[in-house]
Amino acid sequence: MKTQYRFTYLALLAVGLMFFGIACDSAGDNEEPLDPMDPPPVETFDRAGMLDNVANNIILPAYAAFQESTDALQAAVAAFAGDPTAATLVPAQDALKATRMAWQEVSMFQFGPAESVALRGVLNTYPTNTTQINDNIVAGSYTLGSIQNIAAGGFPAMDYLLHGEGLTPDEIVAQFTSDADASARVQYLTDNVDFVKSNTDFVVQQWAANGGNYVGTFLSEDNGGTDVGSSLGQLINAVVLHFERFTRDGKIGIPAGVRSAGVPRPKATEAFYAGYSVELAKANLESIGRLFSGVTAAGQDGLGLEDNLDFIEQGALADDIVTTLQESITAIEGLSDPLKAQIDDDVNKVVATFTKMQELVVLLKVDMTSFLGISITYQDTDGD
Amino acid sequence: MTDSRYRFIEKLVSIAPLVTLRVLFGFIMLVSIIRFALKGWIYELYIAPVYHFTFYGFDWVQPLDGNGMYVVFVLMGLAAACIMLGFKYRIATVSFFLLFTYVELIDKSNYLNHYYFVSILSFLLILVPAHRGFSFDVFLKPALRVDQVPAWTINIFKLQLGIVYFYAGLAKLNTDWLFEAMPLSIWLPAMSHLPLIGQLFAQPETAFVFSWAGAIYDLTIVFFLLYHRTRPLAYVAVICFHLMTALLFQIGMFPYIMILCTLIYFSAGFHERLLESIAQILRRAFSLRTREGVAHNTLPLSLSKSWQYALGMVIVMHFALQLIVPFRSALYPGTLFWTEQGYRFSWRVMLMEKAGYTVFNVNDPASGRSWEIANWDYLTPNQEKMMATQPDMMLQFAHFLEAQYQAEGIKDVAITADAFVALNGRRSRRFIDPTVDLTKEERGFATKEWILPFDDE
Repeated sequence: MKTQYRFTYLALLAVGLMFFGIACDSAGDNEEPLDPMDPPPVETFDRAGMLDNVANNIILPAYAAFQESTDALQAAVAAFAGDPTAATLVPAQDALKATRMAWQEVSMFQFGPAESVALRGVLNTYPTNTTQINDNIVAGSYTLGSIQNIAAGGFPAMDYLLHGEGLTPDEIVAQFTSDADASARVQYLTDNVDFVKSNTDFVVQQWAANGGNYVGTFLSEDNGGTDVGSSLGQLINAVVLHFERFTRDGKIGIPAGVRSAGVPRPKATEAFYAGYSVELAKANLESIGRLFSGVTAAGQDGLGLEDNLDFIEQGALADDIVTTLQESITAIEGLSDPLKAQIDDDVNKVVATFTKMQELVVLLKVDMTSFLGISITYQDTDGD
Repeated sequence: MTDSRYRFIEKLVSIAPLVTLRVLFGFIMLVSIIRFALKGWIYELYIAPVYHFTFYGFDWVQPLDGNGMYVVFVLMGLAAACIMLGFKYRIATVSFFLLFTYVELIDKSNYLNHYYFVSILSFLLILVPAHRGFSFDVFLKPALRVDQVPAWTINIFKLQLGIVYFYAGLAKLNTDWLFEAMPLSIWLPAMSHLPLIGQLFAQPETAFVFSWAGAIYDLTIVFFLLYHRTRPLAYVAVICFHLMTALLFQIGMFPYIMILCTLIYFSAGFHERLLESIAQILRRAFSLRTREGVAHNTLPLSLSKSWQYALGMVIVMHFALQLIVPFRSALYPGTLFWTEQGYRFSWRVMLMEKAGYTVFNVNDPASGRSWEIANWDYLTPNQEKMMATQPDMMLQFAHFLEAQYQAEGIKDVAITADAFVALNGRRSRRFIDPTVDLTKEERGFATKEWILPFDDE
């Protein structure tokens, strides 16, 4: 009898150990003070410090600046909506451009709160669907952010509304004053800016330490690893994905025709109606470069991925990434706005820019992730 | 010879270890299937993808439409539960094996050594009478009960596990693993944020200690488990080793499956006591009385001569394949880790850090236009990631693309691959000959001449 129970306990102990193991899988918060007899700790890369720099000095200020610009945009649009004239139109157009430039600093952080509202998709899906926009205006009822309106809202829709295709300022103003649907159009513009603002406010509020405190989650020790769900894993996956599909492809490759059997699609440029696509692409790539180096928008250098690579003796790779980034920026600078004209004029130059950016995808997605032990996969799986 | 033949094959031994294995296997499979479903992987891996990377020769294996795959998993879960309970055992094991293997054959981008291992174990379980003790089958039909079974029914599992460990150990005997401590030199420092042990992982020496310890563990653990004096300590090592891997790597249920399955090496007495104490708990919980008057059937299981012969052949064939297949990579030129020709089904576990990026370029001679494929239009992130380092999948995908264009009326496109791969801490380099038109290359077991050689410095 006694032995029999002993074996049951043994078995239970084994099962208990297993569950302890499972628990350790994700947790690991049973911290104990280090034994003073232990040898002094080896020097490790300060990954927590890097994440702290990225979160507090790069991401949060970028979101704050973006939020400020959306406030200004909302004010400018309100002024225009209240009194649509050529004089109020220009400040609204300028504010839209400023907001789109500020957006380039945060668009690659599509994880956490931004991912939960699909911020990039709802704010900046282009080419915009002008038919849908006009239908919405006529109908007077629509839900911005819904699936059928994903390409009829956000910045590209405002781009269309505030610039029009080949319209003079007076013609644009007329659309908001004397056209049959003028007041509905004013409403649609206003709804869009409110929509941009509320999504932005939500994400900023979720990141804030005194709000949703995603920054706390991001910097917590539990997420300090390199696995798929870790902060670094999420950050790198988001940035690499963004660069591959939304900077290289979206801003350069797709308009040049690389995804449409070699037939250029100039209408697919970002900011097609306003015509500052190249400027936006450059700003986006520059902000990715600063993130890699750990440099803030103000130019303050802190810990970044570059330092992490340097630390693990991959300085040559870090240099190659910086060089290729610079070469890509130079290639973009060689393109002229509006990008549509550049494509009509000399598409090969655009394709060459795309190819240069492809080199950077290999360095970031293959080499960097491999050396940092980051798994590039946008979904969780078992490995063996 | 006849002596060992008797000892390892014919001798009657207690059924208890087999019963424990059955219960634990069924249990852990049930847990695995529930976990798989809860993570949404049935949808992600088998319903969402528009394209699946089939195994060569198994192109006819396709996922079911609609809710079919959910039905498959529900049935699989039921089968696992039936195996655990020993209810309708033969139907349960055959169903489980077929369902599980079917699912694994749908897409090789999901291939994992431990899925292959589960297929094999469930296949072997079909062949043995693991339900003839401590089971619903016996509860319902007491005449089925036997207390003793021929030794082979237990030894095939010891042999199978032994092969898995030993081959995994052999695979670690390469210069990257032993002398560069790769890929652990990359993976371990990434864990330096862990409390207590994190500091240890930051130390470069730790990767070497782990590499060598891992190789020695894999090569020797079976022998220590076989010998009764070293067994308890060896089992502690099993638990520690697999819990460590569970902590460090994303390898799902594998560590727990191994921890439970290695119990097969324990003595009959251990398993008998284990089962008896569980039986007592169950009896108390359900206020059952010990059944009186059940004759303990100790007769050998009887099979006709031709059945014995057939069974023997199946088992011999199975193990012959198990011993040979992992070595087939030797028939291919080049570096195995680089080409991956003959890599699957060979117990090469957590051996490399490999990442890649592949772009497919399409050229239509008719229009003179060239363009790139957005892989993600057709593939899930996981499929794309797996394909980026595995040439056979690139070839399959190129053929799939060709068929897509033909369906659109573009008759004769050329498809080439721009592929870059980084292996075990080396910088990325070109992987595939970018001038080769993959639509002209055939699938099969022949050497893929268009994989560029891996020139190690």
